[in-house]
Formats: sequence, structure tokens, C-alpha cells
Amino acid sequence: MKKLSGGVIALIVVLVIVVGAVIWGVSSYNNLVALEENVSGQSANIDTQLQRRSDLIPNLVNTVKGYAAHETEIMTQISEARAQLAGADTMAEKAEANEQLSGALDRLLLIVENYPDLKADSQYTALMDELAGTENRISVARGDYNEAVQEYNRTIKTFPSSIFANLFGFEQAEYFEASESSETPPVVDFS
Amino acid sequence: MKRFRSHSVFTIVIAIFCCILYTSSVFAAIPEPTSLFYINDFASVLSEDTEKYILDQSRALDKATTAQLVVVTVQEMDGLEDSEYALELGREWGVGSAEKDNGIILLLAVSERRIRIEVGPGLEGAINDAKAGRLLDNYAIPYLSEDQWDEGIRNVYSALLAEVYEEYGIVPPDTVESAIVVDDSQEDSAGLGAFSWVFILIVLIIIFGTRRTNHTHFGGPFFGGWGGGFRGGGGSFRSGGGFSGGGFRGGGGSFGGGGAGRGF
Repeated sequence: MKKLSGGVIALIVVLVIVVGAVIWGVSSYNNLVALEENVSGQSANIDTQLQRRSDLIPNLVNTVKGYAAHETEIMTQISEARAQLAGADTMAEKAEANEQLSGALDRLLLIVENYPDLKADSQYTALMDELAGTENRISVARGDYNEAVQEYNRTIKTFPSSIFANLFGFEQAEYFEASESSETPPVVDFS
Repeated sequence: MKRFRSHSVFTIVIAIFCCILYTSSVFAAIPEPTSLFYINDFASVLSEDTEKYILDQSRALDKATTAQLVVVTVQEMDGLEDSEYALELGREWGVGSAEKDNGIILLLAVSERRIRIEVGPGLEGAINDAKAGRLLDNYAIPYLSEDQWDEGIRNVYSALLAEVYEEYGIVPPDTVESAIVVDDSQEDSAGLGAFSWVFILIVLIIIFGTRRTNHTHFGGPFFGGWGGGFRGGGGSFRSGGGFSGGGFRGGGGSFGGGGAGRGF
């Protein structure tokens, strides 16, 4: 048997390392893609539910108007919150608009207490069930989304997958949570 | 010094022990399903007859449609909202099939006086949130508000069952009672008086009559196994599909938070 020269051995070793690195890189890349897909899938889920909630609002406003036409202030607040939600782009903006809408709907619920006929209206009950269900779906979707983001972000940041994340330009995903500013009520500027 | 060391070791052991206790108590919030899976009367408020009715009907539904309709009663929900508790139950147990996510959970919390219908995404078309709320209002609340747990659960369960069958375009078996013990009869009874009650009585007699003949249909192993030793009889169903071991289990379905809840 012919003895392999040092050069050939070195070449084989380098080849093995390169092939190993490529396989490792590909699997790491695929993993990152899968995690990123999961994040975008969950975010689409949130969007669907937010849209669904938004779509329910006009019906609700009309039903309430039938019984409490002069409660215009709360109706305006709800419509504004809905418009803000429609214009929201980033996850933080969406979360913030969503919370404002929740706040307005909570106030509406308090007002409705004064209108027993409205509370007994079957259309109103049905709408409130739909809204409550949608709110619940949003909170479930938010939980699932944030979990997906956490796993994705952790993978991007931890070594060694962080090497490939940097190499292929994977960026951190944004959590679905309202920013600090939404804690304080918005100041309405009439100027 | 040495003494201090053993002291700190002791503290660490206690701390670890507390951690284990804490985590196990978090998991304890959601109980494991019973071996009957479809019926989990943890609060012990249902009659044996109702439990058997639910088990039979849900099993038949699962066989026919892969949809899983699971009833859970608990004394309390350990500080969780009914929506959270039902979601956890559905996801942990994997109610419904994994492909269709067609599970439904009917959850009753006795102490909190809450009832909830949690609907898997695959059945949200058939039972949207508004309909879930209406089913609860019409079929469950009138009974539950008077602590008639058995009647309330049985009634709303039957109504749910009929809805699910309808979604799959299947005529519900004759043994489904939804159309019979509707709450509307209470409003009518003022006008119809004794007649409606006699009618209901007759219908009930007919139902119970047919159910008795069903028993013989199931044959020896099933009937003999009922009441206490049911687990042993499980083997005779194995031909029916995805059941394994001695009990029934979830098909791996998930939930997205749809449904409706009510206090009473």
C-alpha cells in the first residue's frame, strides 16, 4: 500500500473541515429560516385577529347607536382607536392601538350598564360574544407570537448560530407589546 | 466555618425543593385526562347516566367525524380565567384531530360558577363565539343558575353535539336529545301547561327505551365493563380507530382561543 504524502493528508483534513462547516452552516441556516417562518406565521395570525376585531366595531357602533344615540363621545373614541389600529405598521404600534381599542371598549361596557334594553338585545349579546372571543384569540395569538419571537431571537443571539445569523443577515424580531408611552393616556391636541 | 457550610448546603437543598414544589404546582393546575377522556367529572356533579351518555355520544362522534367533544367539570380553576383554563386543557390534552383542530371543550367550574365552550379553529365556522354564547344562554344557564349541574351540562352538551353533526352534514343519532329538552319549553309551559310536560315525559320514556336496547347492541364486554371496571373493556373498541391502550385520548388538536364563557 502506497503511503499518502503529507500534502494529500492535509488536503483531506481541510476538505473534511470545509464539508463539515458547510453542512453545519446549511442546517443552521435552515433552522433559522424555520424559526423566522414561525414568527411571521404567528404575526399573520395576530393580524388576522386584529382585523377581525376591527371589522366587528362598525356593527357594534350601529347597534349601540340604536339604543344610546347621544353617547357620541365613546363612539368617537372607539372609531379613533380603530382608525389608529388600521394605520399601525410595527408590532409595537399595533399593540398600542390594540390596547387603546380595548380601553375604549371597556368604557363602552360601563356605559352600556345604563341601558338594560341594549344589554338584553340579542344582536348586542352576539356581538359582545364575538368581541370577547376575538379579544381572547388576540391574547392567545400574542402569547404564541411572543414565544416564537423569543426562541428566534435567542437563536440569533447565541453562539454559534449567531455567526450564521450575522452572515445571512437575520434580524431580531419585535415583540408584540405596547411601548412604555402607551401606559400614559394620549394627549389630544386640538390645535 | 464548617457548620456554616452545612447550613448553606441545607438552604440550597430547601431552595431546590421549593423550586420543584413550585413547578409541580404550576403543572398541577391542569389535571390529566381520565382514561375515559371524553368525560372528566372532576367535580363529581354528574350522574352516572349522564357520564355514560356523554361517553357514548362523543365516542360515536369521534368515530364518525374525528371531532372530539370533551366535557370537563372542576371544583375550581386555581385562579385562572375560564378562557385560559379551557385553552390549556385543550392544548395539553390535544383535543380534536391534529389535521383539523376540531375539538370542543365544555368546561364547568363549580366554585367560580363559570361555564365555557372552547372551540377549536376547525369548528369555529360551525360554532362561532356568538353561537357558543347563545347555546350557553339557552341550554345551560337556566339549569346551572339553579345548581342543576347534571341537567345543564347534559342539555348544552346535546345541543353542541347536534351542531357538530350538522357541520359534518350527518344526521345526529336518535339518542341525541338536544331537540327535546330545550329551555324554550319553560316559556311555553305557561300556555301549554300539562300537555307539554306529558309530551316531554313520553319522549323521555321513548329515549330511555331506545337507549336500553342500545346496550344489548354493544354486547357483553361493554356492558359488563361499565361502572368501575370500564378500563378493562377498552380493548373491544380498538377496532374503532385511534384508540390505544386501555383508554381514549386526544388526537393532537390545538386551540386558538375561540368560544364563549358565562358566569351564572
